Amino acid sequence: IPQSQTGIIFFIMLIPAGKVRWKSNTRPAPVLTAAPVRALVDEQVSIRGHFLPLHCPVTLHARMHSDEGDLWESFAHYNADERGTFSLTRDPSVGGSYLGCEPMGLFWSMQPAPGGREGLRLRKKSVESPYTVHVSLLEGHVSTSEGQRSELAAVTIERWYIAPGVKRIEINQNGLVGTLFIPPGPGPFPAMLDLWGMGGGLQEYRSSLLASKGYVSFSLAYFGHKDLPGPPNCINVGDSYFKAAFLLLQDHPQVVSDRVGIIGLSFGCYLTLRIPTKTGVKPSCLVGINGPEQICPVDTTEQFVMSDATNFINISQEFWNFDDEGCVIFKDASLPANIPPDNFLKVEKLDCPLMYIVGEDDLSTASIENADLDHQIEERLRSAGKSHLLTRLSYPGAGHLIEPPYSPSARTSMWSVKPKKLITMWGGHPALHAAAQEDAWKKILDYLEKNLYELKINQKL
Amino acid sequence: MDEKHSCVTLSVQPSRGLVDEKFVILVQNSFPSSLLTIYAHHQCEDGNSWHAFAHYTSDATGAVNVSEDCSIGGTYSGVEAMGLLWSLQPVPGSKPGLRMRKKNVQAPMVVTISVYSSHLTEGFGDQVPLAGVEVERWYMAPGVQRIPVTEDGLTATLFLPSGPGPFPGLLDLWGGGGQLVEYRAALLASHGIASMALDYLTCKYTMETGKIVEQDYFEMAYKFLQKHPKVLGSRIAMLGLSLGTSVILKIAVHSQIMKLRCAVCVSGSHVQPMDGFLKEILDYFSKNSGNTHFTKDNEVVWRDLLLPIPTDLSLKVDVGKLQCPLMLVVGEDDQNWCAYESAMDMKGMMERAGNSHLLTLLSYPNAGHLIEPPYMPHARVSLFREIQSRQKLMVLWGGQTLEHSRAQEDAWRKLLVFLRKNLYSGVKSGSSSLSNL
Repeated sequence: IPQSQTGIIFFIMLIPAGKVRWKSNTRPAPVLTAAPVRALVDEQVSIRGHFLPLHCPVTLHARMHSDEGDLWESFAHYNADERGTFSLTRDPSVGGSYLGCEPMGLFWSMQPAPGGREGLRLRKKSVESPYTVHVSLLEGHVSTSEGQRSELAAVTIERWYIAPGVKRIEINQNGLVGTLFIPPGPGPFPAMLDLWGMGGGLQEYRSSLLASKGYVSFSLAYFGHKDLPGPPNCINVGDSYFKAAFLLLQDHPQVVSDRVGIIGLSFGCYLTLRIPTKTGVKPSCLVGINGPEQICPVDTTEQFVMSDATNFINISQEFWNFDDEGCVIFKDASLPANIPPDNFLKVEKLDCPLMYIVGEDDLSTASIENADLDHQIEERLRSAGKSHLLTRLSYPGAGHLIEPPYSPSARTSMWSVKPKKLITMWGGHPALHAAAQEDAWKKILDYLEKNLYELKINQKL
Repeated sequence: MDEKHSCVTLSVQPSRGLVDEKFVILVQNSFPSSLLTIYAHHQCEDGNSWHAFAHYTSDATGAVNVSEDCSIGGTYSGVEAMGLLWSLQPVPGSKPGLRMRKKNVQAPMVVTISVYSSHLTEGFGDQVPLAGVEVERWYMAPGVQRIPVTEDGLTATLFLPSGPGPFPGLLDLWGGGGQLVEYRAALLASHGIASMALDYLTCKYTMETGKIVEQDYFEMAYKFLQKHPKVLGSRIAMLGLSLGTSVILKIAVHSQIMKLRCAVCVSGSHVQPMDGFLKEILDYFSKNSGNTHFTKDNEVVWRDLLLPIPTDLSLKVDVGKLQCPLMLVVGEDDQNWCAYESAMDMKGMMERAGNSHLLTLLSYPNAGHLIEPPYMPHARVSLFREIQSRQKLMVLWGGQTLEHSRAQEDAWRKLLVFLRKNLYSGVKSGSSSLSNL
């Protein structure tokens, strides 16, 4: 090849204007790594990039499918450092679904992809399979709507709600409906009764996580489940049902019978407070999240009481608020001021520690007012000389659904399709809610370990 | 629970990992200087139980770290982070001649690791352990795809790494036992190489016609990889064990169609008739079957079938003509093939021909024939079904467990470096400085 022609070819191959050479003979191609690549959902993952050009801008794009097949995604902008690397545990995101140094930001900031169904909330139905999250590394600072870019590198991460060896047992006996999770190993173990709210059905994922931490966990269905008796939009089980569930745990051969606790969210929190004060069982500790302590009249027979609760939600529509977009806010229905004083649970009868967690932006129940005002939990316990039993966690900016960490939170989601399509507001601002979930979960686990695992010097309180 | 007894905790990190990843086993909160036994149990797919155990003494804080502390007895001794896996043995009362091989690579191998007080050697089922953890060992990393391949008459399974690709490709061949063995290809895909496990002895064609495949079968497999949209057609390697080595060496030197980027040959030989292909190789073995020996326990020793290494060039592949990098991995205690002697002969041929810069030779004293991905239990002897006579024989593979396990770990690491270097880098390189000979 004549000299001049070689020169032209060389020039063309050199650097076309503005484009970065990603692959060269002198440097390996960019690499994206995640460690650990298979982990429990509450474990941190360290995501790093290597072998990038110095200081170059990159985008991380994370995608996963829910069990229902909806696509969720997030993205974030990073800049490689002077060695061509970046690390999510060290570097800040400068744009995208979250900002700042957030090692787990790609997970909790996920949103449903555009064009998907409305009012989605991410909840794992099948805990025996993981979420598979595909994380791509793209060149430049781009948004996901800018069309298909070619990936420089990618990594697939599995997020599990269940640790190896945890056993899952479906319970449908003596009228009780739920799922039991047993940690691996000989046992015996302390146990937790796990209660969710008026969304109904059977949610297993918090129980499977607790079992992965060493607690036999029983997620109990009490409303809106096909195996429960009676008409579908009422609670048709009473105090004896919850007592039986607690006793199932206590009497289980692999459970230490004097180390059984209860955890509940929303209406489940009400039940968490109701069960020890009404049924005579003695839990070792309680964790209540964003729940009101009243709603139902206390001194009537069980069956009546519970169906009142559902009817209450439907009847008290006078207290429903609607925001500008027509989303319903349930909050005022449970404001203490709107409820007659006879309907409050006698929490002063509690004899065990209680951890009460509140999201200050909870738009579903009046959690803060519940915990602070007269006749409320803190006051009742103080006047009974039991304020040492209460641990209160309050998170500014967090909403109603304070769940295990690093999952996307829903500020609103679909509440009902019939008879009327309703979207409800849960509240919570993404970054603050995610921080609250992370902190609350850690504190819940420490609290459970302290109250259920460590030796009690003073057995009687 | 005894109120005075502290709660011993056992953790294994990571509790879910690839089979070639190391884990850290940590016992905490036991009494200081207490005698402990760490026990591993695995029930494999065919229902057989395997176990391993090691005796430790906890330190002053009541902790044992298997990666740092010394086992003073059990199925292994010394400081062995992964000893509980590679020293797994069939539980007492098992059938003889068992070998652990994963059939279903889409499910993990589950190992239960527990800690018992005092130094036990038996009766683990009767005692209650202090703590236990279940550990999953996976052959497939998240995102790796498993694709059965039946087109073009092939009996194969392709494993694609996760990510955008394209990826370099690899054909994975096993030995004289036949069958479609997937686990090594799955593991290589977990390391970024699109790998296809190929059954060439008991494939559909052979089972239906009774005939052994010819070179065009391998050409089909090579072309399948080459034209796959996620494979870099110019970067295809071959990896083989035992009889697979014979096939690869013939192809690497003589094939005009299959241009290999590099080749890895484990526990094999270049000795074979130059006329013909696979069928002729098998006939050559049958002809020499008079050289079969038996140990005093009636185990079959086949290492002498190809000895002495012939000087006649019509009976061995002329590796002096090789033009791509070659890695040879041999165990010096191989009782099944004369791999060590063949490797020495190949080295000599390449030195005389002037292409020995292409050769990386890994030779391991006291390692046997079955040099496989690391941390799996070593089988010195196992039941082997000969494909032609369909007879089940107890075959001696060779190797001493400790050195064989070390060899597997070292060889796998170097094999991955060799493959990455030759398949990923932009420049065609010669041998790396990994030879220990």
